[in-house]
Amino acid sequence: MNINATLLGQTLAFVLFVAICWRYVWPPIIAIMEEREKRISDGLEAAKKANDSLEEAKLNYEAELDKAKSESADIVEKANQRASQIISEAKTKAEAEAEKIIASANKNLEAEINKTKEALRKDVSEIIVSTTEKILGDEISHEKHEKIISEAAQKI
Amino acid sequence: MATESSEITTTGYIEHHLTNLICGKTEKGWTCDPYLADQMGFWSFHVDSLGWSVFLGLVFIGLFRMGIPKLSTEAPSGIQNFVEMCVEFVNENVQSIFTSAKNPIIGPMALTVLVWVFLMNLMDLVPVDYLPTLAGNIAAFTGLVEEPGDAYFKVVPTTDPNITLGMALAVFVLIIFYSIKMKGLKGFVAELTLHPFGKYLIPVNFVLEFVNLIAKPISLGLRLFGNLYAGEMIFILIALMLVFNSIAIGLLGVGLHIIWALFHILILALQAFIFMVLTIVYLAMAHETEDH
Repeated sequence: MNINATLLGQTLAFVLFVAICWRYVWPPIIAIMEEREKRISDGLEAAKKANDSLEEAKLNYEAELDKAKSESADIVEKANQRASQIISEAKTKAEAEAEKIIASANKNLEAEINKTKEALRKDVSEIIVSTTEKILGDEISHEKHEKIISEAAQKI
Repeated sequence: MATESSEITTTGYIEHHLTNLICGKTEKGWTCDPYLADQMGFWSFHVDSLGWSVFLGLVFIGLFRMGIPKLSTEAPSGIQNFVEMCVEFVNENVQSIFTSAKNPIIGPMALTVLVWVFLMNLMDLVPVDYLPTLAGNIAAFTGLVEEPGDAYFKVVPTTDPNITLGMALAVFVLIIFYSIKMKGLKGFVAELTLHPFGKYLIPVNFVLEFVNLIAKPISLGLRLFGNLYAGEMIFILIALMLVFNSIAIGLLGVGLHIIWALFHILILALQAFIFMVLTIVYLAMAHETEDH
């Protein structure tokens, strides 16, 4: 074992390398590790916050959805009511119209019937008169027996 | 068949591997001849140990600085992973030992000790003849020595007590510095003299406490040296088996080398870790201000 100045040389080298490590190597590595640690814990916190707000958003969404559902149900009901109202109005109107049409048709029909009756009466009386004239000769003339013919026509 | 000459060769082989490349001043001026080491006195240097030590220190700094320009907080990759793993491991150890006092230099120092000592220990896994032979051939080629075998080159810095005790000395100086800084000179002296037996037995206290204090750096340095020196010695002895011209012994040597190298990986890492932990523990003790 030979102790010499190598020992002092190594002591000096030790001090120098520790100094270099202390000054230039250690701080940036520690800094980056601490920064990462901070980032990770920040990230976890942010994730937790995001989770919380997600829960909140879910609750809000459900509430909104319920509201929208009841509103839409209201709207549908109103629409149904309105529709049935419109239908019943239309029905009433249509019935009235139909009655009116039937009434006027009946009236026309009656008028037609009367007209036909009148014509028939006239025809029949004329046929009777002419037939009677033929049978009786000139005794009965249209002019003379105007009154009787019209009375007979009335009776038909 | 152990003849006289092979005995000498064996001894010479081992000695060759255990001799440092030493440079120092003799009466004839500066020289790097290991045969003149006795004349050099204290002011001589083991160029190989110091050279490898400084080189490996630079490797450590380079490795840990390399990724820093593009350090990322997002997804660390490659070298940054490794670097962060080391730093985190060291930091955890420091924080678990340094509970009360805080000192910003302990972390970097522990990291330096761990990685640097580990790298120095790791040189033990390079087969014992590779680098000395290479260095010898380069030296012979450039004309520094006549024969490659004349060049001495010891590769593993931690098998040199100067290196391990040199680091222990730095730690020792820091222990005394922080003891005085944290407790005051009075507190430090009181710690050395007033217990365990109280103020009436100050000389006894001092002897006990002084031994206790001195034992710290010496045990720190010698533990690392002893473990690595023994490991290196076994590698050299195993390598000796390849010197005999026998295939069977040679193969056995290769097998033993592999087994010992695998086992030695554990020792290398463990000794680096122990050196680091003890450094932290000693400095933590120096920071303790409470009275006993």
